[in-house]
Amino acid sequence: MPDTGNLTTGGIGDAVQRKEDFRFLTGRGTYTDDINRMGQTHAVFVRSPHAHAKIKSVDTSAASQASGVVGILTGADMVADEVGSLICGWNVVDRHGEGHKAPPHPPLAHDTVKHVGDQVAVVIAETLAEAQAAAELVDVDYEVLAANVDTASAMSGPEIHPEAPGNLCYDWILGEEATVDAALANSAHVTELDIVNNRLVPNPMEPRAAIGEYDMATGEYTCFSTSQNPHVLRLILCAFVLGIPETKLKVIAPDVGGGFGSKIFCYAEETTCVWASKKVGRPVKWTSTRSEAFLTDAHGRDHVSHVKLGIDADGKFTALKVETIANMGAYLSTFASSVPTYLYATLLAGQYTTPVIFCNTKAVFTNTVAVDAYRGAGRPEATFVVERIVESAARELGVDPAELRRKNFIQPDQFPYETPVALTYDTGNYEASLDKAMSMIDYAGFPARRATSEANGKRRGIGISAYIEACGIAPSAVVGSLGAGVGLWESAQVRFNATGTVTVFTGSHSHGQGHETAFAQLASTKLGIPFENVEVVHGDTSKVPMGMGTYGSRSLAVGGSAIDRACDKIIEKGKKIAAHLLEAAVEDIEFADGNFTVAGTDKAKAMGEVVFTAYVPHNYPEGVEPGMDETAFYDPGNFTYPAGTHIAEVEIDEATGVTEIVDWVAVDDFGNIINPMIVEGQVHGGIAQGVGQALLEGTVYDPESGQLVTGSYMDYCMPRADDLPSFRVDMTTTACTHNPLGVKGCGEAGAIAAPAALINAITHATGTMTVEMPATSERVWRALQENN
Amino acid sequence: MQNFDYHKPNSVDDAVNHMKSSDDGKFLAGGMTMLPTMKQGLAAPKDLIDLVGVGLNGITENSGSLVIGAMTTHADVASNATVRSKLPALADLAEGIGDRQVRAKGTIGGSISNNDPAADYPAALVALGATVKTNTREIPAGDFFVDMFETALAEEEIVVSVSFPTTAQAAYAKFPNPASRYAMVGVFVANGPDGARVAVTGAGSSVFRVSAMESALDGGFSSGSLDGISVPADDLNSDIHASPEYRAHLVSVMAMRAVDACS
Amino acid sequence: MKLEGSYIINASKEEVWLAMNNPEILQASIPGCESLEKLSETQFTAIVKAKIGPVKASFTGEVSLENLNPPHSYTLTGEGKGGLAGFASGAADITLSEHDEGTELQYEVEAQVGGKIAQIGSRLVGGAAKKLSDQFFRRFAAAINGEEENPE
Repeated sequence: MPDTGNLTTGGIGDAVQRKEDFRFLTGRGTYTDDINRMGQTHAVFVRSPHAHAKIKSVDTSAASQASGVVGILTGADMVADEVGSLICGWNVVDRHGEGHKAPPHPPLAHDTVKHVGDQVAVVIAETLAEAQAAAELVDVDYEVLAANVDTASAMSGPEIHPEAPGNLCYDWILGEEATVDAALANSAHVTELDIVNNRLVPNPMEPRAAIGEYDMATGEYTCFSTSQNPHVLRLILCAFVLGIPETKLKVIAPDVGGGFGSKIFCYAEETTCVWASKKVGRPVKWTSTRSEAFLTDAHGRDHVSHVKLGIDADGKFTALKVETIANMGAYLSTFASSVPTYLYATLLAGQYTTPVIFCNTKAVFTNTVAVDAYRGAGRPEATFVVERIVESAARELGVDPAELRRKNFIQPDQFPYETPVALTYDTGNYEASLDKAMSMIDYAGFPARRATSEANGKRRGIGISAYIEACGIAPSAVVGSLGAGVGLWESAQVRFNATGTVTVFTGSHSHGQGHETAFAQLASTKLGIPFENVEVVHGDTSKVPMGMGTYGSRSLAVGGSAIDRACDKIIEKGKKIAAHLLEAAVEDIEFADGNFTVAGTDKAKAMGEVVFTAYVPHNYPEGVEPGMDETAFYDPGNFTYPAGTHIAEVEIDEATGVTEIVDWVAVDDFGNIINPMIVEGQVHGGIAQGVGQALLEGTVYDPESGQLVTGSYMDYCMPRADDLPSFRVDMTTTACTHNPLGVKGCGEAGAIAAPAALINAITHATGTMTVEMPATSERVWRALQENN
Repeated sequence: MQNFDYHKPNSVDDAVNHMKSSDDGKFLAGGMTMLPTMKQGLAAPKDLIDLVGVGLNGITENSGSLVIGAMTTHADVASNATVRSKLPALADLAEGIGDRQVRAKGTIGGSISNNDPAADYPAALVALGATVKTNTREIPAGDFFVDMFETALAEEEIVVSVSFPTTAQAAYAKFPNPASRYAMVGVFVANGPDGARVAVTGAGSSVFRVSAMESALDGGFSSGSLDGISVPADDLNSDIHASPEYRAHLVSVMAMRAVDACS
Repeated sequence: MKLEGSYIINASKEEVWLAMNNPEILQASIPGCESLEKLSETQFTAIVKAKIGPVKASFTGEVSLENLNPPHSYTLTGEGKGGLAGFASGAADITLSEHDEGTELQYEVEAQVGGKIAQIGSRLVGGAAKKLSDQFFRRFAAAINGEEENPE
């Protein structure tokens, strides 16, 4: 047996290298597309080239004669099989007390197509090349209808669903409008801003993929899928779409190469593969091309807002009013409705004591692919609104933006702090992170740096973003009362093997976050066993207890807490066995560093010995079950509230409008840290994504034809290493008060904080109220012209 | 991608014969445009005639000129010591094409034969007054590039080499498209025995010269001479990345930067 | 996208109008048009091989003449399906007016592409449409003027 008790590497707080990186970095991961099943066929979807059209006919006769074709299935076949509609699992109730409009979303369209890329048929063939060739022969006759893709004008555009008059999905409010209007009217100053939060394509490195398989002998289906939450996918497929008992569908999400939210949802393709596998009697595999990913992965953001911030004569915020139109795309995706409401409006207090807040969100349908959660999901949009309007107000008032923030911060002694938008922040220290960030970037030295830049024909700007997020999603009772169709607890099973190694089963899912490492560190410290002795299993509904998956920076705060609870159960049981072995009372047994000891004595039993006894219970306490295998379900009492300050500094080339990010400091409060290296990596990745949104990434649908113009990397600009500076990352810490680990979550923070910091820096440099995202060189150049 | 017949001739004549005997053939150089196009299903030639083995690779110096074989890769041009010393602007240009993978496969002959409106090489050929040698004739660069994706090449004609005079001071200033890193605007400036040449790529439907800038530079070769000279925006490209007005502005800025870099 | 322009044609309005209704001249003018079959006086089916650089796609579709106002104006519309490449459609409002040197033909084209060519080729679509449209009117003017325009 390996040496026990060595906790200096791999315990909580160690920057241990990630267990999973060897296989990822050497090409040895097993992704869905790496899996090949006996007798497997290949699916290619026939997709609409039109944004909006009636399907007049689908002629599969030529295609079905093509070489290698096993089957061609259409929307009509799905209707005949009574395949259900893809669902939205969060019912948002509008300002009139009515539920949102969730029009039918057939996995294969049979009547109309509503966005470019909408599925019309699936061609299943022996090889991928044969499926592709046959798909080209499927002749779909369309009657083209007028397309409606623009968020701001969607409500007055052509109607997309008869179920949603005026293309309105819901008209939702939070707060009292009259109160907020009155407070604004009585304010010494009101700052107003029009804000566009640009639409983004998620672009995980691994495109989506699925294999559906049906075992005729057992009547059991298997779905291999690139899912962030295999149990949720199983639940939706079974209970709502395909009508399969949950006992007869196994969902396996193996190594998954990034998701950023886009792999939370139940899509048409995996649904079709599972359904079709029984129809054709063979496993059916589909792997998205990058072109398909652009067209069909749920996009992110896409808000148009008008914002008003009231300020009194002392510089205190009096009221905030936000009116937002949020683009849902053509169909309501799995959690789409919650993103611009409960994950957005509830964060509009930010780090501030703004006493009254009103938010109205109108969600609209358009002839674009669905929009749903994307890294940050609602909270980047909220932070962008708050931090842009606060910065703009400071400039209008001629006060230092840092000082205006400081004056309005919730103070450390005010926690727990109930905001006017339904959340209770448990803890925080916002001034501490602001101060640290300002000192790191030498805020006071900015004027001198600006003068140097100006002497070189460059404009220089500095921008702050003091963000907060609610994550660790989250308390089931709360989300249930807000319309969620699921609970958001998490499960963990901690299984000691007889020889002392531990398998941790988690219902959360790793698609790059490093669960195999961080959770092993957690179990290692908690149980006092070597890091190397812990294996983490996730992503297979046949192995892991039902869990809710990974999104909303929840894995550690919720899933980690469940592991902690399961470990507690192990320790409690171990105490009973140790008491028996040590001939002491259970109450006298203490557990620390992997050893059970009798209090006040040197009598001890190591965890390994106790575990071995549990599996070989020759000398065993009466009434205690053998084995050492415990399961816990953890439902948190509150969200967690990571917060911090990011400051960006930019230099702009006056002649071209090109922005260079010359410095970036991030000071985040994530509560307690399990692995600082993973945390820093998450911060880096998040900032890179936020910089992508602010500077480079913009999704463009042609306003007339509804075609996706930014449908490849020729036109959709992802951030590259040389677009980014070396980030300087530091922490402040206030431990979360309501989970056993004191952790908050770090996965989304960078993407939430970054856009506002960067646009604040750019507008500081240009001297204009706004520059729209992405702040391309032309937009910045035009802003400079406007200001000259 | 559709099936096709792959041919690998070992001489230019052999390659031409393959093309003549095919009713739907395509020459393949580095394949950096052709292969992605085929993979997307946007081209499906019956015969692909690979020029990799026809012996058109290599760089030689020849009394006041550099002769670059058509199949020489961008990476080889970028790293070649002779190009670096005799025509560093061309080496710099090659180093800025695409990414490392593209530079390792893409060729000068393939690039100019394709004549993508945003390719870099056409600006260098036109500004330096290069000569394109084919299997049948020699074509001055100014006559070679006709319109977007259109050259003076006949269907069965193969570029053999490009000959660049090395007598000019030259520099290339490129404003890359942030997504594709093709030239949104690229300006190659050369100042040689025949005077100043300013060639612009990425901004129009094909490479073009700016005579107003050339005569201004002939009056005094410094970026200050270009002050206030701009190209009309009317005929410039417009896409989601840049308006014609911004492209016109960038032509002036990049031209000045190229002139400054010539010294 | 929208394109517009004008050509001077050395012929009378009536002669130009006749040419505008002559399928042979239309076929000769449409770049890459391999066949143009008459369905009625104003409707045709067409096969067009479009070639822009490395891209070569065959479009099958319809060409029709609408809003006929002889001999002053009509709208020439076309739409075609290009398989994997996607689709293209366009409508050209063509107006004739008398001119010192014959007839001035003014056009306003509204063109759209969809599918793969729109998704991956957006930087080139505008330029390509302009080039094809120029080719069409140049060939058309040449055909009426009785000149040989080199097919490309």
